[in-house]
Amino acid sequence: MSNVKRPRIAAVVTEVRRYSHAQHILDRFLFGYSWDGHHHVPDIELVSLYADQHPDGELSRDRAKMFPQMKIYPTISEALCQGGQRLDVDGVLLIGEHGKYPTNPKGQRLYPRYEFFQQIVDVFRKSGRSVPVFNDKHLSWNWDWAKEMVETARELDFPLLAGSSLPVTRRVPQIDMPLGAKVEEAICVAVGGVDGYDIHALEAMQSMVERRHGGETGVEWIEAATGVDAVVKALKAGSFDQGGWDPALFRACLCRSHRLVPTREGFNHTLPTDRQIEDLMREPENRNRPVLYRYQHSDGLRMNMLLIEGVVHDFTFAARLTDHPKPLSVQMFLPPREVCNFFNPLTHATEELFHDRRAPYPIERTLLTTGLTAAGVESLYRKGARLKTPHLDIHYRPTRRSTFWSN
Amino acid sequence: MPHTRITETRREFLETTTATALAGSLVGTSSGDEQKSPAEKAGPKKRIAIITTLWAYLRHGQHIGDRFLVGYPHEGDWHEPGVEVVSAFVAQQPTASDQKVREKEFGFPQGDLSAERAREFGFGLHKTIPDALRCGGKRLAVDGVVVIAEHGEYPTNAKGQKLYPRSEFFSQIVDVFRNDGRSVPVFNDKHLSYSFEQASRMVAASRELNFPMLAGSSLPVTWRMPEMEVPYGAEIEEAVVICGSSSLDSSGFHALEALQCLVERRKGGETGIRRVQTLSGDDVWNALDHKKWSPDLMARALSRADVIKGITLVDARTQDLAAPGVLKSIVPEPQAVLFEYRDGLKATLLLLDGAVGNFTAAVRLDRRDRVLSTKFLLPPEPNVAYSACLAHHIENMIVTGQPGYPVERTLLVSGLLEAAHDSRAADGRRLRTPQLDVTYTAPRASQHCRN
Repeated sequence: MSNVKRPRIAAVVTEVRRYSHAQHILDRFLFGYSWDGHHHVPDIELVSLYADQHPDGELSRDRAKMFPQMKIYPTISEALCQGGQRLDVDGVLLIGEHGKYPTNPKGQRLYPRYEFFQQIVDVFRKSGRSVPVFNDKHLSWNWDWAKEMVETARELDFPLLAGSSLPVTRRVPQIDMPLGAKVEEAICVAVGGVDGYDIHALEAMQSMVERRHGGETGVEWIEAATGVDAVVKALKAGSFDQGGWDPALFRACLCRSHRLVPTREGFNHTLPTDRQIEDLMREPENRNRPVLYRYQHSDGLRMNMLLIEGVVHDFTFAARLTDHPKPLSVQMFLPPREVCNFFNPLTHATEELFHDRRAPYPIERTLLTTGLTAAGVESLYRKGARLKTPHLDIHYRPTRRSTFWSN
Repeated sequence: MPHTRITETRREFLETTTATALAGSLVGTSSGDEQKSPAEKAGPKKRIAIITTLWAYLRHGQHIGDRFLVGYPHEGDWHEPGVEVVSAFVAQQPTASDQKVREKEFGFPQGDLSAERAREFGFGLHKTIPDALRCGGKRLAVDGVVVIAEHGEYPTNAKGQKLYPRSEFFSQIVDVFRNDGRSVPVFNDKHLSYSFEQASRMVAASRELNFPMLAGSSLPVTWRMPEMEVPYGAEIEEAVVICGSSSLDSSGFHALEALQCLVERRKGGETGIRRVQTLSGDDVWNALDHKKWSPDLMARALSRADVIKGITLVDARTQDLAAPGVLKSIVPEPQAVLFEYRDGLKATLLLLDGAVGNFTAAVRLDRRDRVLSTKFLLPPEPNVAYSACLAHHIENMIVTGQPGYPVERTLLVSGLLEAAHDSRAADGRRLRTPQLDVTYTAPRASQHCRN
């Protein structure tokens, strides 16, 4: 809890429009949100905003009118200094998701998170003072930049929190990976595509497996595949060593899904066969290209990330624990889009960051998932080559307490 | 009896629809006993009859009934049912206009599905309920009966209650039990009857003939978000349940049962209900102004909703729905059912169509102001996975002969719902309900999905 004044924060975002991440997070600071059975209004003042783009229907001016304490500034530096010469806020939200930015030949959207971050730390350096920073989603599309961001935070000694809402959203059932569990293999079955949703699935998995025996040890290699043929081949492989995954884990995920696409007309809920899954993926109206990332941690843990929207429409996770006959399985729950309450626990995590000046969970998680995302994209770009990932030699310990939304 | 053929047809189906590459799958067909579920090992599957008003896509008859044909998710696995559907009676076909509307919504034909299910799964479709229970023979030939009389074309009375023939179906079932000198477990979907008198007779018959009976909604057994349970034996001061619908008869039943499954755990057990009053329109806002229910409990229950309407639908902003004036500005036709239990517990159902799209509840425990609140999770169409939670309880009752929770819960809520309609029809007059002296003891163990 804060025993000083009410923290004042700045938001540095790409765009504020309906359903953009910035809208979801900023509105929670302005209007409040549901937390622990109350409508909770953060004890934090959002005093300044820099928005990089202003598309039709953008909401930043509308919100600034409703909440005059939030001033809009034309530059990041001015937002952080509230128009003055020196840093004049107690924390920064960096929300570089959505907006029109170019895409590189590998298919990565070049969101300017690193660029924004550089401008933020320039102000810190000039002011001789640093404050906590939250970075929404992965740190950067570029691994070297992400690494530099984390190193800069260490150098300037400010807490850095980052990542997706998937690790902190509600779960069905409401369980966590037991701390110290021996985990052999895990899978996440999820939706979306490369460079947007892979990070969510990787973060969901990492938030579970980082709690395993020995803590996080980093990742040795990754290989990625996309397209129905490649994913069907993996589906039929029967084990991780044969190029696929443990079918019991996949089945557990399908059974945890609440949005499993029916495979037979007139039936609302059946467990699809491999053949039916293939048929669903090949349906002409299913425009989602399935994606598979397979990777292995340095301690031998085998991981599978499968994006198969059109077969499912939600995020589920399953893991094989040593000496447990039944997989541990769970759904990472995403409430309906209209209000997107999975931003509640993410916003709350940023509040903890600003109040306590300490990240509620380690930045190394998101550094690792950022590296995995970039490496997965790279493997796809190199036609599915298995890439060694010595740079992902990232070791860390998880928090003892669970940090997902359970109140 | 076509029992062997049924089994083969069923197995072929399971092989093509649910067998995965998983070794040790419960639905494997070829490798003998080691692949059978505990229920199969225990002996032949219990044979059930499904008695329903309508077997059409996403109607209760289909989404509950099908689970006994194709299985359902349970605790992270796909559960092959431990019961076998051997016969069915389906009272109605979907009307042409209903089919047309729903075909547009879902994109494929929306006719009756029972005939093709019967063919595929090898059960008998019968023209009468007694025939279904006797599988076309002369004596009761099933081990359990599942009655799903929800949806279909039935008249609505002047009070707004749809007159589903649950009591009539039940009478025919009981007649077979009496005539054939044997009774089997019966499940009744949703409330027992629109009439408390009829509902009471149903429960009395089950006691007289000594057969297990289970009834009610999926809400008491679905997932809770967050996971929450009322401590057994807690003193409860007040409870509020909210639903985002205007249908007292249909959604109101679900909400009242959701609330009942929480408060029945209170100290002293269930005592019955003394008074019921249903307010509508501005009377609801006046009652709120006069704190006829706790605004704080209402706020707590509202905070659990994650389908928020009003201006949220315009620009996705979060809202404090309990802030002054908000509900009034977005709920054009509110209704509130205020009721008081015989031990003094006060409870309120708020129907807030236009504000939220969830069922949520809050209860205040004892005098230390401890409040528990949750949302009853209703996973979306088409899976509507909440009915898998209910199917599991139905199956358990038929297999073990033990209902997971007392039918008196549903009896009391059936009567409460009728009284709420009576009060509404009497312009919101507060009614004494001496008939609702339904007492029972709730099971100590939680019965909802949480693993």
